[in-house]
Formats: sequence, C-alpha cells, structure tokens
Amino acid sequence: MRSGSRDAESTGGRDAALVRLYHVSKSYLAGTWALHDITLEIGKGEFVFLTGPSGAGKTSLLRLIFAAERPSDGQILILGRNVGRARESAIPPLRRRIGVVFQDFKLLPRRTVEENVKLALDVVGTPAREARARTFAILKQVGLQHRRHHHPLSLSGGEQQRIAIARALVNEPELLLADEPTGNLDPEMALEILELISGAAARGTTVLVATHDQTILRRYRRRTLRLEGGRLVEDTPAPGSRP
Amino acid sequence: MSDPRALRALSARVLNFGRTALRGLRASPLTSLVAVLTITVTLVLAGAFALVVKNMQGLLGRIGEDVTVTAYLEDGLADQERAALEARVKSVEGVQEVVSVSKDEARRRFERAGQGRADLLQALGENPLPASLEILLAPDRRNAEGVRIVVESLQGLPGIAELANAQDWVQGYAGALSLLRAVGAGLGIVLALATLLIVSNTIRLAVYARRDEIEILTLVGASRTFVAIPFLLEGVLQGALGGALAVVGLAGLYRLALPSLASALTLVFGDTPPAFFAPSEMLVLIAVGALLGVVSSGASLAGGLRQ
Repeated sequence: MRSGSRDAESTGGRDAALVRLYHVSKSYLAGTWALHDITLEIGKGEFVFLTGPSGAGKTSLLRLIFAAERPSDGQILILGRNVGRARESAIPPLRRRIGVVFQDFKLLPRRTVEENVKLALDVVGTPAREARARTFAILKQVGLQHRRHHHPLSLSGGEQQRIAIARALVNEPELLLADEPTGNLDPEMALEILELISGAAARGTTVLVATHDQTILRRYRRRTLRLEGGRLVEDTPAPGSRP
Repeated sequence: MSDPRALRALSARVLNFGRTALRGLRASPLTSLVAVLTITVTLVLAGAFALVVKNMQGLLGRIGEDVTVTAYLEDGLADQERAALEARVKSVEGVQEVVSVSKDEARRRFERAGQGRADLLQALGENPLPASLEILLAPDRRNAEGVRIVVESLQGLPGIAELANAQDWVQGYAGALSLLRAVGAGLGIVLALATLLIVSNTIRLAVYARRDEIEILTLVGASRTFVAIPFLLEGVLQGALGGALAVVGLAGLYRLALPSLASALTLVFGDTPPAFFAPSEMLVLIAVGALLGVVSSGASLAGGLRQ
C-alpha cells in the first residue's frame, strides 16, 4: 500500500483536488435530469460519503467519475484528466488508477478468489510472480488469504465484498469509489467492510463511498455530500475540519 | 522492449491471453464445438473441390509435357521425299523434335500394344498402317494454342495425308477445368460467407455469455484490445482445429472413396491415381480455417464490445 498517509480533512486536502466537477448535468432522457448542475471538489486523501435517497443520482455520479458515462453538460476532471472530453483510448489507463466497489460485488463466479483479485493486475501486465505476491498480500490484509483458492459463491456476502475491495485496492489506486458497498450485508459485516475502506483512506487513498446507511454516516462522521433529485443539496464537512 | 520489466509484462500478458482463451473454450464447449464443426464442414466441401481441381490441373500439366502432333504420311512416299518433308517440318517454328516412324515400326508398335491382336494385321495381309512423323513441340508451345499454330503451319504440306493431335481434347479439358475452378471459387466464397455468418453469431453467443467478465475487465481498466485478444485467439484455435479436422476428414474420405470410385476417376484423371494434398497444402487448409475463425471472432466482437 502507498505510504505517506495524511488526514486530508485536517490539512485542507481540497487544494490538491483529485475529483473536480463544474456544473455537471447528466440526462438519460430528454427533459429529465439524473444529475443537475453539480459542482464539487474532492481533495487528495479525503474520505467522503455520498448520500441521499434511492434515485437521488448517487450511482450516476459515481459512473461519471469512473468514466462509465460522459456528462451531458459541464466538466469533470478526474486525476487531472477531463473525462468528458477524453478519447476512448484514454479511459482504461484512467480506470487503472481508480478502484471501484459495487453493492453486487461484480465477481466472476468461475474464477477463484485469487484469480478475481489478480484480474486487476493482469490488465496492467504485472508479471505472474509479482502478481501472486501482491494478491496474497492484499488478501491477507482483508483477511481472506486462507480462502484464495475458493470460488466466490462458496463464501459469505461479507467475504465476497472483501474480495471486491481487495480487487479494487490491489493496484494501489489513487481513488477508491464504493457504490453502496454494504447494501447487501448485515450491520456487523457492513462495519467490517467500512473498516477496510477506512483503512485504505488512512493509508492515503482518496475515498468516495455512496451509502444511504445512516448508522454508517453517524459512526464515521466524515465529509458528506447529499444528493436529492439529482441536485447536490448539502456538503457537510467532517466535524473538526476547516471549512 | 529491452527493459526486462517491460519484457516480463509482455510475456505475462501473452500468457494471460492464452490462458483466458483456453478458459473461454472450456467455459462454452458447445458453442466452441458448433464453431469448429461449421468450419470443418465448410473446409471439407471446399477442400474436396480443391482436390478435384488440383488433380485435373495435374493431369493437364502431364498431358502438356508430352503434347505431340502426328503427321500421317501418304503411302508410297519415296525416302528422299520423306527426308525432305521431315526437314521441312523440323524448320517449322515451335517444333522441337521430329521422330520418323516407318510403316514397319508402326506395325511393331501396334503388335506390342495390341497384345494378342497381332493376328488382326496378319489377316489383312498387307500392312495397312501408315508411316508417320511424331512432332514434339517446344515447351512454350505445349498448349492448345501452340498446337493450333503448329498444325496450321503443317497443313497442306505435300506428302502429309492427315494430321492428328489432342488439341480439341486438351482445349475441352482445360475449359472444363476453368469452369470447375470458377464454380469452386464461387462455392468457396459462398461457403466462407455462410461460415462467417454462422460462426460469428455462435461466437457472439459466447461473448454475450461472458458479458459480466467483459464488464468487470473494463471496470478494472482493460482496454478493448485486452478484452478482444482472447476472443480472437479462441477464433484462431477453433478455426485451426476445424481446418485440422477437415484435413483428417478429407484424408479419410479419400482413402475410403478411392477404391470404389477408381474407374470413374480414371475417366477424369487418366491412368495416374489422384494425389492427396501435400503437407504444405494441408497447412494452407488449416491456416484458412484459422483465418475464418479469427475473422468470425472479429465480426462478432465488433458488435459485442460496443455494448
């Protein structure tokens, strides 16, 4: 994992923003806005929650950030690149610097835990021996090294989400996005998963977690962006951080 | 690329592509089988056609090697006149060699070839066979057009009673061969298009079945090329396997069908038994299979990866 962690909230990390949105809108159907006029910045090393009711636009916003969609209007700069204008060939290299975790895990059932995690290293052509070592290390970090030869479907929901987190982190991404990562898990498992994500943030990874789980929001008390009807209605800084 | 780390990364990718392609084949065995068998059937049909054309062409080549024109001489020609005629024929452009066959030599040849029918000539008493000049053409004239030109030059020469040659036969055979080749090429194109359509749709099913994998690969930063290469490799493997099976199938058919078709084939190919593909031609058939496979994969991906 990347060393040199820092607490962005306490050091004014927004100066070195990794995510910048300027008046971003997204429309899937003419006349209706999934996102409308969103302007925000997320600084390097920040741990931010994105919340709001179902259909508020959380997933759409995350999809725009990892360039699965292009904005209908406005500018998005991710890791210094304008993804709205980037060529298609520029998207894969950008995604290799972003880890993504989904509510439904998105694991390949026919591949082992190790193979699922190693996928992110295969994509960048990591030599086999190094890939195995890094995969083992990250699986150990999420407590699944002893399950590496199992198939995902033989594991619990919490364990599957830990595989997904391991896959998202194995490439040491600068930005980690998680879309309702605890949505399918019981409260105890949900806290375990948040601890892993929080650990990544503590090691310097910028983290944006979409959740509507109030328990988590109350427990972690980080900067929180609130979406409603596609609009950013609240940007609450973490308690104790400078505005 | 001399950087050892870059080399290791490249070999890791190549290994990964190979493993992914094999995993893909194992993951959808029925789809793979359909693709392989479709290519096999196409190549067996096209290969059979190619085999017939190859053998007909071989026969035409062999005939071409000893294309001769025979000039039958008038009876009662004096030796001096015959020598003068022989010299005249030799001077015709396109004639390489002239062999004089006397009436007695013609009789001996007939007796040798007739085997037991020599009594036929004895019954006639006088030798009815004419003396002749066997005219071998120069290599560049050993074709229907060359024969025609030489025959025209010889026609009307005093002392020649009749000219015989295989010009018409050669022309007809060459025409039949051209027709067969054209039909074969047309059939090959139609079969190849049908195969591309069937196999690309079959592979599209495999792409669809693995859309989750494609989505996840894309999410972790795989480029379109990275996603596409294993599918293209699968196409190559399926096509090459289809080609190899077609070679085996054709060899089997050739062995099984040859004895029962021997008499019919003699009519088409002459006395020389038909030949099977040379090893290099078998490799070409396998390569054509691989090409069909990779183009089919490419066509299916063009639609599949856009989603």
